[in-house]
Amino acid sequence: MTELTSKERVLRLLRKESIDTMPFFSGMGMLVMPGIEKAKVKFATIHTDAERMAISAVWSARLMNFDCVVIPYDMTMESEAMGNQISLYQDSEDILYPTIPQKIWTDLDQVVIPKNITELGRLPILPKAIEIIKREAPDLPLGCWQLGPFTQAGQILELDQILKGVFKQKAKVEKLLDDLTDMIIKIGQYLQAAGCDYITLREPGVAADLLSPKTFKDIIKPRLTRILDSWKSPKLLHVCGQTEPLLAMMADCHADGLTVDAKCNVRKGREILGPDVLFMGNLDTYKLTCDEKTPKQVVIDVVKDMIDGGMDAIMPGCDLWPAIIEENMKAVVDTTHTYGTKPTHV
Amino acid sequence: MATKEELLERMKNGVIEYQEDEVRDAAQQALDEGYVPLEMIMDGLAAGMVVVGELYDRNEYFVPEVLMCADALYAGLAILRPHVPKSTEGLNAQVVIGSIQGDVHDIGKNLVKMMFDVAGWEVHDLGRDVPLEKFVEEQLRTDSEVVAMSAMMTTTMLGMKKVIKMIKEKNPNVAIMLGGAPVTKDVANLFGADGYAESAGNAVSEGIKMIGRLREMRNKGK
Ligand code: B12
Repeated sequence: MTELTSKERVLRLLRKESIDTMPFFSGMGMLVMPGIEKAKVKFATIHTDAERMAISAVWSARLMNFDCVVIPYDMTMESEAMGNQISLYQDSEDILYPTIPQKIWTDLDQVVIPKNITELGRLPILPKAIEIIKREAPDLPLGCWQLGPFTQAGQILELDQILKGVFKQKAKVEKLLDDLTDMIIKIGQYLQAAGCDYITLREPGVAADLLSPKTFKDIIKPRLTRILDSWKSPKLLHVCGQTEPLLAMMADCHADGLTVDAKCNVRKGREILGPDVLFMGNLDTYKLTCDEKTPKQVVIDVVKDMIDGGMDAIMPGCDLWPAIIEENMKAVVDTTHTYGTKPTHV
Repeated sequence: MATKEELLERMKNGVIEYQEDEVRDAAQQALDEGYVPLEMIMDGLAAGMVVVGELYDRNEYFVPEVLMCADALYAGLAILRPHVPKSTEGLNAQVVIGSIQGDVHDIGKNLVKMMFDVAGWEVHDLGRDVPLEKFVEEQLRTDSEVVAMSAMMTTTMLGMKKVIKMIKEKNPNVAIMLGGAPVTKDVANLFGADGYAESAGNAVSEGIKMIGRLREMRNKGK
């Protein structure tokens, strides 16, 4: 087969069509320091400006040979649009992601989601960033993402309140999750209309090390399914943490593919899912790409083992940590491209 | 009149079954009937939390249940703790605790804090996303023996190394303990910390060991 562009490669994979080689891509942040430096911007300033966001994303992909570009980088956009202040840590030299220091609401029934949320806060910069990326990198697929309703609820109220509320204020929690589900559907459609090529629903707050699989089944799964049903393909579902007990249910949420992090055993995951589900991940984003003590050969061996274990594409288990060891990052991408040539189940 | 055993059992089960009111009532009754508050805390509330920890390890309980059990425990603690004499063993120790700058993960930190509260320590909780200097200032202000820092992210974890350096420069006699998912014993050693605990369950005993080690070193130095 002739060489495909990254965009063709990823989009064909997500349609389960044959591809030339395995892509290294992700549904979540793929921002790395070399890209930020090349774009000549400071980390703290790339979250608030379409041009900086777009250019740092494109440079990250170009310099590392990634098969995608992904925006945005932080999880606070929607909460900010609802009226919460964010900390950008502009004075810090370290890489610190935006956070919400104090939340305006304290109770579940106080939350009001503005009807015009896509016009508020930083959400309007996303279509602008999408436009720039599509112009600068037409050969790369552009991914966007939305948090799932449970994790998003934790950006709006205190997460422990939501966790306890599942038992103590079930009706109120369910109402809030329904409202957030509507919001997430709307913002996802807005990003798809703006031109993103694939979308990921990421719900890290519901892993089996936090919530029971039963709660996932009763409260989370119906809402994830409703969101995914309302979005166009291609669409992915990601959960971080212990996902083995959830995988079978995740496969039933109507996503085109599932992605997990390093806490999920690749072979066990593949065994649970069987050969037909697109299953991707699960690179440890610290040990393999940031830890100076990890030799390059180990990185190569781990990636090969992930491919042998049945991954359909190699991707980071979460947002890449920007402070990568370049050599190891490149080894991951190269190994995926060269070793990942054997035909997968697709 | 209820027997001590009955009340201990009610408090213990109240914690395990996250029944705040039940724990509160039993604690009040224990107090009214003149039982020793510290004993009720340790053999009732804390004993319940030990079982909760086991249920969590066995995947019978998940984080929401643990948080509700913690609320029940605090309901009892609020009643009993003010009546524990200050001189009682363990109560002399103080700890400054917080999640490091840039890190808003605080569920694990709060569980560790709870264990120190149960053990009768004076806890100075700085919350989350705590500026690095704040740990140093609070330690100096309170003269706490232990500073406990939590980081859930590999990048924020690096901030802890800076805090350790700052504290040790000002006051080498402070014992510093680290924890949080990305932190390992090796990382804690590498950063120059005095202690590390993998889970909330053994944070307090590690804290006590650390203080012991520091006292020994100081005595040798004299
Ligand atoms: C809940 C959660 C959140 C919530 C936090 C809400 C809150 N109030 O805490 C929200 C949604 C806000 C969040 C946000 C983010 N998160 Co988060 N989050 C998690 C999650 C799912 C669970 C963490 C948790 O609470 N565990 C339960 C508690 C009980 O366990 P624990 O924290 O480990 O604590 C125990 C021990 O570690 C120990 N311990 C903890 N602290 C201390 C301290 C001392 C002194 C001692 C002795 C012991 C100790 O005792 C505790 C009890 O036994 C994890 C993934 C996972 N499944 O673990 C990711 C995770 C921690 N998050 C991650 C990331 C990347 C983020 C974001 C950067 C994402 C983004 N792009 O914006 C943001 C950053 C926010 C910020 N700046 O802090 C990554 C970190 C990767 C890494 N290794 O660096 C993780 C691991 C997910 C992943 N797979 O990549 N997150």
